Amino acid sequence: MQDKHIVTSFDNDLERIQAHIMKMGGLVEASISDAADSFLLRDVELAEKVRARDASIDELETLINDDAARVLALRAPTAIDLRLILSVIKVSANLERIGDYSKNMAKRTSVLLQMREIDNAASSLRRLAKEVELMLKDALDAYIQRDPQRALEVINKDKDVDQMYNGMFRQFLTFMMEDPRNITACMHLHFIAKNIERMGDHVTSIAEQVVFLTTGERPLEQREKEDRTSHDVNMSLDPKTET
Amino acid sequence: MLDTTVDNMIEEKPKIIARDVKVVYGDKEALRDVSLDVMDKTVTAFIGPSGCGKSTFLRCFNRMNDTIANCRVSGSLIYDGQEISAHDPVTLRARIGMVFQKPNPFPKSIYDNVAYGPRIHGLSKNKADLDGIVEKALRRGALWDEVKDRLHETGTGLSGGQQQRLCIARAIATEPEVLLMDEPCSALDPIATAQIEELINELKQSYSVVIVTHSMQQAARVSQKTAFFHLGNLVEYNDTGDIFTKPSDPRTESYITGRIG
Ligand SMILES: Nc1ncnc2c1ncn2[C@@H]1O[C@H](COP(=O)(O)OP(=O)(O)O)[C@@H](O)[C@H]1O
Ligand SMILES: [Mg+2]
Repeated sequence: MQDKHIVTSFDNDLERIQAHIMKMGGLVEASISDAADSFLLRDVELAEKVRARDASIDELETLINDDAARVLALRAPTAIDLRLILSVIKVSANLERIGDYSKNMAKRTSVLLQMREIDNAASSLRRLAKEVELMLKDALDAYIQRDPQRALEVINKDKDVDQMYNGMFRQFLTFMMEDPRNITACMHLHFIAKNIERMGDHVTSIAEQVVFLTTGERPLEQREKEDRTSHDVNMSLDPKTET
Repeated sequence: MLDTTVDNMIEEKPKIIARDVKVVYGDKEALRDVSLDVMDKTVTAFIGPSGCGKSTFLRCFNRMNDTIANCRVSGSLIYDGQEISAHDPVTLRARIGMVFQKPNPFPKSIYDNVAYGPRIHGLSKNKADLDGIVEKALRRGALWDEVKDRLHETGTGLSGGQQQRLCIARAIATEPEVLLMDEPCSALDPIATAQIEELINELKQSYSVVIVTHSMQQAARVSQKTAFFHLGNLVEYNDTGDIFTKPSDPRTESYITGRIG
């Protein structure tokens, strides 16, 4: 893919950092998947696993940042090497956030066990999570293969996630209006849906880093949110609409 | 690459306009059809592997290649609206000064080193005038405070870094418009290097500075424009920030990232 550096230890440094990114990415993918499953299967043990895994994800982020700082200080990277270092710092931060959202989702599993079940909610949430997990997998593949085209496809898919989220938002609203006893459960479910939607934004940011890494340019168009309805209503309901 | 070069040509004022410059030593081609504009009040860095023609190109600007027997320069180099080959070489070298890799003060006093150029070009009316020129040049050369009490000691007794700043003061004593520097820091320690780099940054307020350097970090630190040469070709010429973050030619990329190209 890329010629080797004359100084081999420089290549080793860069490979080590990227290996950590891939490892972190693998853990985060597993967390999304387990969090969604724990939810659907009402599996508290699986949820606990997600929580425990988050510590390893955080550790990897620290490791990656330390390594990136060392390379900046000691190797004075330029061009593709510089863009690689800038991108790993950003990508690791995105992965860490996605990990956090998964943990948050898993935490709500035990809470929701004590509440009345809402039709279809768990399976729609799992579908949404699955979609984000697939996007993440594609984004990481694009990253490792240095494939900006594939990254752009991921960026485009974020619209679908937003749309799915908007649909669920309306559904939860309907349930709450139909029967006030649904409110507590629906509020929790909505937080989860919102968190998954935010995960999608972080995946998109990773895909944008792939474009920057490979081309030196930022993806020009900022995507217009297709459906702003829930976003607008949201402001009054979700205390952390835009994080 | 061509596009950005053209952009750069129109947005600022060029000091030297080089077009299709070709240089041969005997029958050996050292530089092939190089076109580039050296901008005013800008530091331009020439980088590239040894033997790629950086010094050869730099020497075209003040007709130093004329002094090399088998060297032939063709193409066009315009300075001040006129072909460089049509300028008188002595006057030209007063207006386009040069600083070399190894500090080379004359074996004379610090004062005489700096006064040399103004004297031969008749730039001073009297002794007081000349004193003023020497002081101003040494101040601009960031050396005045260190030598003001020993102006009549010999220049070769200074430290390497001081000698190089003396050579810079000597070069700017004739009020040149362009300052050419061929690896001016390669014989200096990091502190002396930092002092020269700081000086270069000051000098660009008044002059156009062209620096050949084998240190890419130095090019990145001091220049606004960077030209990358490879095997006698100008491969890429662009804003320094762009060259070091997103070079457009794979040969530039390989070179600046330290890869085997
Ligand atoms: N005086 C000379 N006589 C013959 N060949 C020369 C002379 N000076 C330079 N060259 C050749 O011209 C090419 C460019 O040299 P130079 O401009 O010194 O490169 P750089 O400064 O980039 O290291 C090299 O191949 C070098 O061997
Ligand atoms: Mg040279």
